[in-house]
Amino acid sequence: MASSTPGSGIAEPVAPALAPPAVPHPVRARRWRTLRHAARARLAPFGAAVLLVAVAAALLAPLVAPHDPLKQDLNRALARPDRAHLLGTDNVGRDVLSRVIWGTRVSLVAGLGSVGIAVLVGGLLGLLAGYAGGRVDGLVMRLMDAVLSFPPLVLALALGAVLGAGLTGVVIALGVVYTPTFARLMRGQVLSITAREYVDAARALGVPGWRIAWSHVLPNATAPIVVQASLSVAFAILAEASLSFLGLGVQPPGASWGSMINAGRGYLQQAPWIVFGPGAALFVTVVGLNFVGDAVRDALDPRLRV
Amino acid sequence: MGRLILRRLAATVPVLLLVTAGVFALIHLTPGDPIDAMMAESVDDTVKRELRRDLGLDRPLYLQYATWMGRLLQGDLGRSIRNREPVIENVSRRIKPSLQLAGLAMAISLLVATPIGILSAARRNSAVDRVGTSFALFGICMPNFLIALLLIFVFGVTLRWLPISGYVDPMEEPWDGLRSLTLPAITLGLALAAVITRTLRSSMLEALSEDYIRTARAKGLSDGAVVRRHALKNALIPVVTVLGLQLGTLIGGAVITEYVFALPGVGRLVVDAVFARDYPLVQGVVLLIAVGFILSNLAVDLLYGFIDPRIRHR
Repeated sequence: MASSTPGSGIAEPVAPALAPPAVPHPVRARRWRTLRHAARARLAPFGAAVLLVAVAAALLAPLVAPHDPLKQDLNRALARPDRAHLLGTDNVGRDVLSRVIWGTRVSLVAGLGSVGIAVLVGGLLGLLAGYAGGRVDGLVMRLMDAVLSFPPLVLALALGAVLGAGLTGVVIALGVVYTPTFARLMRGQVLSITAREYVDAARALGVPGWRIAWSHVLPNATAPIVVQASLSVAFAILAEASLSFLGLGVQPPGASWGSMINAGRGYLQQAPWIVFGPGAALFVTVVGLNFVGDAVRDALDPRLRV
Repeated sequence: MGRLILRRLAATVPVLLLVTAGVFALIHLTPGDPIDAMMAESVDDTVKRELRRDLGLDRPLYLQYATWMGRLLQGDLGRSIRNREPVIENVSRRIKPSLQLAGLAMAISLLVATPIGILSAARRNSAVDRVGTSFALFGICMPNFLIALLLIFVFGVTLRWLPISGYVDPMEEPWDGLRSLTLPAITLGLALAAVITRTLRSSMLEALSEDYIRTARAKGLSDGAVVRRHALKNALIPVVTVLGLQLGTLIGGAVITEYVFALPGVGRLVVDAVFARDYPLVQGVVLLIAVGFILSNLAVDLLYGFIDPRIRHR
């Protein structure tokens, strides 16, 4: 399998000839193919590496951060990057690198948490709407249309404001913002799947509605949801950074990328590294997650492959 | 066409109702007493009581909603609790910079994205294409505020060519006004340009692979004529779709851009209202933005019918 390196476009036409004539394990073979597609997407390995580093930094922050992210040292304020402080220090002498590492936690929690909420709530609402049909469907979907009638950032800002400052408020606000996407997606899936013959068959056999939903509809509807979720995480991380740049989310002195960038913008001239550290971390993470999302999409949804 | 407009308008009514209900509910989502959230501890109790009565928060919820909706239908969006002026007035004072910013950003994005998108598609897999697609990826992954800070760093702080904050009305002082809007408009325009470039490239690629392109080439038309007259026209429809879909992002981007460059626009008003905990103002402005957003989406929908006769006759 290792021979099909990413980017080697010629591997594909040769593969059928090399493949064993009989496939003993169709499911496993398909899984392998899925994985290979994911790996072959040109930039997926880079994305995966970024994701791994980010997760590791978030989990191991207390161990890998070279300094205490909150410890101020006014004698070393605005210090240039050097061996002691690889990314320099900020206006009160805190180590930028350590704060970037701790900020990874906030970004990942916000990205995964809000998309998690959206998948759960949106998925259930979509399942309900698609399955119940009629008035319930109309009501749920109009509700989702209403949420979509607000520009995402404005809605998140307003919700974040009333829910109170702090990471929880932002995660919930972003969760609400992303919910309609998943509700619409799930509803569409349910409608197309319940029209299939195997669902008719199950119904004819007297299988109760919730069982059909659980064991036939849900498993078949997951692929597009996973694809959408993996692409949404990157945008949720951007959105959290935007909100904390504006002052919502994690409150000072806590470290999040957006709030670090906002705090550093007054020192662009003397100490551009305050903005550079978290800015680069944010950009690289979002680019990496985009690559991962694209790879997941290519692997799970062949129709969209470009 | 007239029936299409009516049908679309009718479909927005229930959504508008839900939107107003949502905006009304906003103030009640605050954990604890909204009055306490809006005013400092130290504020006198009688002032708080007065505000509570003013906002109708001392009455049952359904009555509050009925009064609020009644006022809304008469065009009364409420008053700011900070400057005591009607929401409408607060917004109308701020709308001009926002519209100018959005217009300039849109113009910049089209100016940048059209040539890059077309060239990328026409010279697929060339160096131009790679630069084009990298530009698109960069613009999509780079948050607005980072682009803004990058521009401030280069053109404002280092080269000192352009002002980095403040607003001068270009209607009154064209030169200074344009200078004050240049960096914000580039900030907002680049993100949009990235999305348009990506869409235009892929829709051009699709259009270029059609049979009628081969026909056009076969009859000896020049490359330029094929691209301009045959491919581009058909590739523009997805671009309009994306422009419509991006409106929300554009508004959000305007909020951030106005905040960074201290432009006195509507986006800045939202941020200020949120941090001043001026909930009636937040409600009013958010509602206005949502209605504007719904209406512009409607306009984009109708624009399709105008551009693409196939949709009109469906």
